[in-house]
Amino acid sequence: MSGSPKQIPVKEGLWIVPSSPDGKPQLIGSRCHDCHEVFFPKKAYGICNHCQSKKLEEIKLSRDGKIYSFTVVMQKPPEFYRGPVPYAEGFVELPEGVRVQTLLTDCNLDDLSVGMNVELVIEKLHEDEQGNEIVTFKFRPATSNKGRSGG
Amino acid sequence: MRRLREVAIAGVGLTRFDVYDGEKGHASKEGYELGMEAILNALQDANMEWKHIQAAFCGTVYQNTGSGHQAIDQIGMTGIPIVNVENACSSGASAFRLAYQSIATELYDIVLAFGYEKMPRGFIRSTAWPLWQRQMGFNVQPANYAKETVRYMEETGATEEDFARVTVKNRKNGALNAYARFQKEVTLDEVLSSRMIAKPMRLLHCCPLADGGAAIILCSRNKLKSRSKVVTVAASVLNSGIYGSETGGTGSTGGGGSVRIHNDIVELSAREAWKMSGYGPEDIDVVEAYDTMAPGELWDIEKLGFCRKGEAPKLLREGALDINGRLPVNTDGGLMSRGHPLGATAAAQIIEIYKQLRGEEGPRQVSGNPKIGLAHSMGAGSNSVITILKR
Repeated sequence: MSGSPKQIPVKEGLWIVPSSPDGKPQLIGSRCHDCHEVFFPKKAYGICNHCQSKKLEEIKLSRDGKIYSFTVVMQKPPEFYRGPVPYAEGFVELPEGVRVQTLLTDCNLDDLSVGMNVELVIEKLHEDEQGNEIVTFKFRPATSNKGRSGG
Repeated sequence: MRRLREVAIAGVGLTRFDVYDGEKGHASKEGYELGMEAILNALQDANMEWKHIQAAFCGTVYQNTGSGHQAIDQIGMTGIPIVNVENACSSGASAFRLAYQSIATELYDIVLAFGYEKMPRGFIRSTAWPLWQRQMGFNVQPANYAKETVRYMEETGATEEDFARVTVKNRKNGALNAYARFQKEVTLDEVLSSRMIAKPMRLLHCCPLADGGAAIILCSRNKLKSRSKVVTVAASVLNSGIYGSETGGTGSTGGGGSVRIHNDIVELSAREAWKMSGYGPEDIDVVEAYDTMAPGELWDIEKLGFCRKGEAPKLLREGALDINGRLPVNTDGGLMSRGHPLGATAAAQIIEIYKQLRGEEGPRQVSGNPKIGLAHSMGAGSNSVITILKR
């Protein structure tokens, strides 16, 4: 037996995992030098679609953000999604000034709310036909929320 | 910009919007047959013959290559240019705009705009999202509206009950429309107890799918066969994707969004439509707003400028948006009753305004002799089309 299944990102280049053992993953975005807009995912063709500047730099985005909006999907999507249903997804606003569409995980679906503090995790999305684990970025309620949610 | 010639509507045609799959008592029809039927109805309404048509623009989304050609092939191949237009749910109105422009600029005198669709079943499939986003389950259309709805609730205090009232009003209007898929009223309780699709969107907050066709013949005023109750185009505006749209819920590919920059595609096209027509919201007698999801009708009314943000639920509760209210909205039942054949929907909205302005809507006719009406459609991508007609 080869041990744990091979992990494959849902798409290359969305996040970076630092090499140090206690390092934590961060999403990779772009920032425009001219208009200062921030994008996620990073702009694949190096063009700012706000001001058309080509002076973009790759940046690592904060791991902590707030839920801007969300929904709980109760019905299986038309194709390709193979995770659990219902599932939560939404927009998380990061301090750099960008909203990231993301799955929301490790939470009671009824407890999600706009403004909730959330943090980035890299988690299994599903297994492919070869038994590989397809992993992706998600956000989960931040540890700082958990004390409050019970009260 | 050069001065544009006045463009009139010569005639309109619809098929009933329904399910044409040959099952459970439904007739079996191909998509192109629905397009063809709509065209024949429009020719009859305009008192024109096919040989008069100089160009055709056809809106479809999920049909095969040459969708317009397939429908027209059944009527007559006269060598005229046929152009197929795919602009998602606003395809029919986008085709209308091209027809309008080709007459306004004096390229042609008589042009056909039409749209049809035989819809795939289930959630509307979209390939507009990259594969990884589809794998993450982001391509659920009601979910994208749901996120915009959650923001709307957060910012205005609107409730699920407000959204349910949109469905109740539109289904009540649809009960007076023999061309609608659903012609039966629903109660507030039925909407609020229907199955949850994507919180807070329930099944009866979402428009049903349907198959159908809609056709409009446009012409220069001198080509009209009848000079009574002439309806002309006062504005025809299309805006596509603008940077800084909030969540992109009504149609972007959802990859993220700006926190600092705020633009709204509906507000943009409203500004352009008011400028082009010379009218303002206070001049409009009847409206077709975009109710693919019930909450959308409310923020559409607000973004078009008929009231301030957050005030539409109150207008709805007071009955102002009813057929006999001061701003009748979706008098034909909207998408909520008609159903949503993607290519035909936005053309059907324009047809409803046309017929209201001519006083031809029988039991759902708006009283007070309406003279100016507005139709607004949205489409993924995103697209926003406004058509203002006047009599």
